[in-house]
Amino acid sequence: MNDFRFEPVAMPAAAVALRSEVRTFLDKEMAEGSFKPTVGAMVAADPAFSRKCGERGYLGMTWPKEYGGHERSALERYVAIEEMLAVGAPVMAHWIADRQSGPQILRHGSERAKRMILPEIAAGRCYFAIGMSEPDTGSDLAGVKSRASRTEGGYRLNGRKVWTSFAHGSHYLIGLFRSSGRPEERHIGLTQFIVDLKAPGITIRPILNVYGAHEFNEVTFDDVFVPEDMTVGGEGQGWAMVTSELAYERSGPDRFLSTFPLLVEAFRELGPDPHPAAAAEFGRLVAHLATLRHMSTSIAGMLQKGESPATQAALVKDLGTTFEQEIPEVVRRVLPLEARFTQDKDLYAQLQQLALQQMASYSLRGGTREILRGIIARGLGLR
Amino acid sequence: MSETRDLMLRSLDRIVHDTLDINARVAADASGQWPGKLWAALDEQGMTAIGEVTEGDLGFADSMALVGRAAYHALPLPLAETVLARRLLGRAGIDIPDGPLTVVAPGVATEVALTGGRLSGLARGVPWARAISHAVLAAGDMLVLADISGATSGQGVNMADEPRDALDLGRARVVASVQMSRAASAVEADGAMLRAVQLSGALSRVLDDALSWTGDRVQFGKPISKFQAVQHLMAQLAAETAAASAATDMAVVASVAAPDRFAVAVAKARAGEAAGKGSAIAHQAFGAMGFTREHHLQYATRRLWSWRDEFGGEAYWQAELGRAIAANGADRLWATITGTG
Repeated sequence: MNDFRFEPVAMPAAAVALRSEVRTFLDKEMAEGSFKPTVGAMVAADPAFSRKCGERGYLGMTWPKEYGGHERSALERYVAIEEMLAVGAPVMAHWIADRQSGPQILRHGSERAKRMILPEIAAGRCYFAIGMSEPDTGSDLAGVKSRASRTEGGYRLNGRKVWTSFAHGSHYLIGLFRSSGRPEERHIGLTQFIVDLKAPGITIRPILNVYGAHEFNEVTFDDVFVPEDMTVGGEGQGWAMVTSELAYERSGPDRFLSTFPLLVEAFRELGPDPHPAAAAEFGRLVAHLATLRHMSTSIAGMLQKGESPATQAALVKDLGTTFEQEIPEVVRRVLPLEARFTQDKDLYAQLQQLALQQMASYSLRGGTREILRGIIARGLGLR
Repeated sequence: MSETRDLMLRSLDRIVHDTLDINARVAADASGQWPGKLWAALDEQGMTAIGEVTEGDLGFADSMALVGRAAYHALPLPLAETVLARRLLGRAGIDIPDGPLTVVAPGVATEVALTGGRLSGLARGVPWARAISHAVLAAGDMLVLADISGATSGQGVNMADEPRDALDLGRARVVASVQMSRAASAVEADGAMLRAVQLSGALSRVLDDALSWTGDRVQFGKPISKFQAVQHLMAQLAAETAAASAATDMAVVASVAAPDRFAVAVAKARAGEAAGKGSAIAHQAFGAMGFTREHHLQYATRRLWSWRDEFGGEAYWQAELGRAIAANGADRLWATITGTG
């Protein structure tokens, strides 16, 4: 049997209690106008909101208390972030630091890095960007050309990174650099560095996206100094670091909830007594959503138990991004946009137009659909 | 998976291997009669007397696993229907007759009534009715066990050659009837859950077979599974199969005592959609070879095409989900989704 099971997970009582606490917080914030729901919430940054999350203990939730964390379970963290994404809260500022960079530093960073950075992330005051892609290096990451060379007390970085989300608002970047060997040597000789984005030699230039928003950047490194103890996992360990934590990154609720706030507004527009055909179109999305959430929470349960379900995670991301891209297309068949181009734009019209222009990125970021299907095929024993 | 369940499923695999050859399958499809040897072998292992929540050796989840495995093997017999009937009768507290049983799907029965102890109405698409003595059906607020010997008024088959007959309920004899609130809804939801379990089991088979076929079949000097286009097809098939089984597992967990209509609707809608997509992918992968009557793929895919429409097709359950959320209000969608945890 080659099928992958997704055993149901029982949410612990602490997670159930946390859910209502987070919901109350978010309701109050929305009522006070601190944010308006958006789609693709990981691209909406609001440092004030991030600091509130930090104050309330919603960041670094699973980390040890000695590094500013709260020693909560992975399932509690899951509940907190899914509640935020479900209302389209602006989580971008802290998103990468909390989800990816912080956990990497906790596992593989130096003691100094952990003490200096993790408490600040958990407080919602310190944000991260990721420097992986380069102009000639997209999905084929092992081909990075940006270089790190040894110098007194550390390294000098040179090169160029692109599509670096929120670098303009971040304090640090974790970047992948070639510290030895040639690009043809592929996975060997790559190192990840924690780079202070205020360091001399860094230039950050905006790259506007398809709808004109400033979300990603080009970051150039001109002899940027990084101290010895700011590598992640040590010299030469970059490739292992990059590939080891993908299950966390690929199976979370951010992989199927990007356009959920649009679905809510569309249901509002649909009204209480829809035409049967429209009810079926919308109901199909509900069936997909319930299934995906079950699969995703099941993976959170596996991660909590220390398992590493990489193939299941890739399955969730493939199905999940397909689903979040379907919502705008299904909804526009039922609730046409044309008149809404002119009128005062209600929330439905705003979210729909943003989603339609944004959603191409969902199956690109964090591993393209084609790369994921290759990973699934490997899990099936085909390669 | 528990050890008991694993042993039981292996035991079923062995029975299928020992008693069901291709000739028996062809004969069953042509005659509308299940292979007697196969039923007897299952019966001997206690696999036909399951389905009740509180009785029998098997728990509910185990009996659903058995139904799924029977679907994996495309067994030409009314095991799912028997399990479904036993579950309904057990819940109503009606004594359960021995042997195979069938169930009338409420959606394809018309003018069903129980007056003065006599049934009336017409049921269509009743599984294996011609060869089964007792059927379970809903009439108003009553769950009814009826003797249907001699009540078959027409014969037909679904796309998988499984008998789907018509019953003149006026010619059926009421054996027992017990009040059950919203009986038709319960029969329909339990039936849809069983079909979702079967869809999921048949999809697992299609995935297994497609993976071994694409690994064996050599074209252009290498197994076709080495081509990226084929790998991506298999990834999509695995994703659909996983979604179907995840949705189904969720419904089974939520429905131990009685069907959870929301979870069942999700399962039937999602598994039904996966059935369509999955069988299309599998046929693409198997090429002309898989498009022959002789090839075993059709035993799974023709069942997928049939079962997805039985006890309500995708559109039926999707519309129910859409109406329920719309009536509840948009702001309660998320609470509904997270309601089970």
